[in-house]
Amino acid sequence: MSASIAPECNDIKERYDTCFLKWYSEKYLRGNTTSNDCEELFSKYKTCLNKVLKEKGIDSMLEDVRKGNSEMDAEHNRRS
Amino acid sequence: MKVFSSTCTFDYSWEEVSAANWRKYCPWNDKSTHVVAVDTLSRSVDSETGILRTERLITCDQSVPQWVLSLFGGSATSHVYEISYVDPKSKKVTMCSTNLTWSNVLNVQETVTYQPSSAKPTCTTNFNQEAKITALCGGWQKIKNKVEEASVERFSQNAKRGREGFEAVLEMSRRVFGEQRERENDKLQS
Repeated sequence: MSASIAPECNDIKERYDTCFLKWYSEKYLRGNTTSNDCEELFSKYKTCLNKVLKEKGIDSMLEDVRKGNSEMDAEHNRRS
Repeated sequence: MKVFSSTCTFDYSWEEVSAANWRKYCPWNDKSTHVVAVDTLSRSVDSETGILRTERLITCDQSVPQWVLSLFGGSATSHVYEISYVDPKSKKVTMCSTNLTWSNVLNVQETVTYQPSSAKPTCTTNFNQEAKITALCGGWQKIKNKVEEASVERFSQNAKRGREGFEAVLEMSRRVFGEQRERENDKLQS
């Protein structure tokens, strides 16, 4: 797995990524799209990550770029 | 604006490619070393369509041409925002990314798709990549052209390395997955 931008989040990120990949290949791709096995790990990872994104000022860059998302979602988040 | 596009076919099923894609930038990929971190920002499954939507932050550390640094300042660390959609029913991965750093100078919009090939849909996957690169610095067309040309050049180098690196990840994924399955089968039998 790849590293996190924040070294202190590497452990929890690794655990989350491993959980996600297992869920993705064993459940999601086989049609079980509603389960969310990794929610708890993701929430811990996000808590760790968000703190660092804020410190580095990346959160405000993200806020700006997300303004274009509704267009993107309209195009891709539905069945084509 | 300049457009860079490329296509290729991987000799792996769409399922394998779409799973390995999540770890494209792991240590198995020794070609895309400019990517130093990949963080997941959000993830959700649309209850109606089953489409998986993921936001990621990709952090790159790469040598920027010296003349670019001296013109625009800044550091060599840059961030890319990526939003992706996986549609498991129609078997399509779409990834759209844009640069967060240097966004006042340069706008890079990349769209990548992975879909089963029409010739051998069960075992080969088509990769499509298109990037639109626009220099935003006001005024001098000559500088804009130069910035765009340098960016396209860098983009195409990274794309080539990315493809080679991803091949390595696909190969390792298949091997590891095969070994895992063997172990599980052994366990079941014993």
